[in-house]
Amino acid sequence: MSGAVRTIARSLSMATATLVSLVACDAGSEAARATEDSTPPSSTDAAAGYRGVVLEPGPRPDFTLSDVDGKAFSFREETESQLALLFFGYTNCPDICPVHMAGIASVLRDLPWEVRDRIRVVFVSTDPERDTPERMREWLSGFDPRFTGLRGDLEAVNRIQAELSLPPAIRGAVPPDGENGGGYEVGHAAQVLVFGAGDLRLAYPFGTRQVDWKHDLPLLVSELQASHRR
Amino acid sequence: MQWWCAARGSAWTWSWQAYPGVWLFVLAIGLAYWRFFGFGRRLTARHGGAHAEGTPGGRGVPPRGWPGWFLAGLLCLWLGLDWPIGALGAGYLASVHMLQFVLIALVAPPLILLGVPAGRPELRAGSRGLLRLATHPLIALVLFNLVIIFTHLPSVVDSLMASQLGSFLIDMVWLTGGVVFWWPIILDSPARPGFGNPMKIGYLILATIVNTGTFLYLTFSELPIYSTYELAPPVYGISARDDQTMAGLLMKVGTAAVLWTAIGVLFYLWYLEDSNEPSSTSHA
Repeated sequence: MSGAVRTIARSLSMATATLVSLVACDAGSEAARATEDSTPPSSTDAAAGYRGVVLEPGPRPDFTLSDVDGKAFSFREETESQLALLFFGYTNCPDICPVHMAGIASVLRDLPWEVRDRIRVVFVSTDPERDTPERMREWLSGFDPRFTGLRGDLEAVNRIQAELSLPPAIRGAVPPDGENGGGYEVGHAAQVLVFGAGDLRLAYPFGTRQVDWKHDLPLLVSELQASHRR
Repeated sequence: MQWWCAARGSAWTWSWQAYPGVWLFVLAIGLAYWRFFGFGRRLTARHGGAHAEGTPGGRGVPPRGWPGWFLAGLLCLWLGLDWPIGALGAGYLASVHMLQFVLIALVAPPLILLGVPAGRPELRAGSRGLLRLATHPLIALVLFNLVIIFTHLPSVVDSLMASQLGSFLIDMVWLTGGVVFWWPIILDSPARPGFGNPMKIGYLILATIVNTGTFLYLTFSELPIYSTYELAPPVYGISARDDQTMAGLLMKVGTAAVLWTAIGVLFYLWYLEDSNEPSSTSHA
């Protein structure tokens, strides 16, 4: 190789090293900024170090619905010693539900088993007509077989949402033939509610990224474990 | 209706969408070529002569300046910009975004430049100030790699892909960067007679190495780095991380395939030179 090529190689290796570190820094700052955009933290959130939005403290909701095996599932009792992630959605949802579920499942796979074991993800259907137990089992298993699917009539589900200050689920009109596969959409709350140590409640709106879940879940689990030790 | 592909936020559907801005852009490039060089009989001319002037690959291969090269490049450009590749890449899958990059920056520019007839002095590198500077091999290589890195920064992708103008800007930067990168390889450079086939081969080999950092970062990142694709409505259940890994692999494999093909052609031309056969020494 000539001197010119050596010069090119040297310049490029230096430029590449500098710029790759720039990409890495940029990715980190972007993730942080994305979180700020999607979950504007209150002073409490910032003080606690959560990426999610801290809500008014309160006890875990006390409701019972059927799981995909048809058994009664009491949310408060079943999740008592765990960090509970509660989400209201439907399996035909084209965007928010699969993005939330996929993001959480992906992060859980990365966590150590002792952390993962203390987290319970509960998905409540807002479309009981189409979300049969089989359909829910199949859909949730696509993300993580440990996810719990619950269903009940829409009135009961909306009562639970009202107690949690969430808007009710609203079934949209069936579109003309050919659009959206002939199916309807269901308007529903877009945030995942998290119930942690004591009366701690947080909300994670749509836009929460995997980097946010990876930051908060171990933190919330360690606080939960500490509260149980006390 | 959108005029250029950008992230929509709605679920992906295979229903065809019109992007008139893409058609106008592709048409404008085609008309510009026709205006400056024309198509005429050059398109249908036979290329059976051994080692015709400007032949990229040898016997039977059309020479440089053949409009078919240009039309093939224009087709690749159109495929990369229009529905479905343009739409999927703009707002749904990082891997398709990378396929767009390969088509727009790596495949289309050399084909378009091969379609430029030889002997057009106004297009020769070294004939004009800014062009001479930008198409100097060292500058072109650095510029192209800056384009690769900056157009793959998460903040750049996430802020620009949300708007049609931003998406258009990224596509134009890719195309311009690709043209600058391939210029010293394809077009004559009387001002740089020393930049022969061995130097061109070295230039391309370096180009295969320097995008490794971006490839490694995309492929082995623990978490999705682009919110555009992480939060996009899923397509066929492909996870954001798998999509990102595929994007990284496509960057490496796609880039390598194009560059090593060009390196192979240059080696062949170098071999022909050494065999004292009549052949062009300045065309890829």
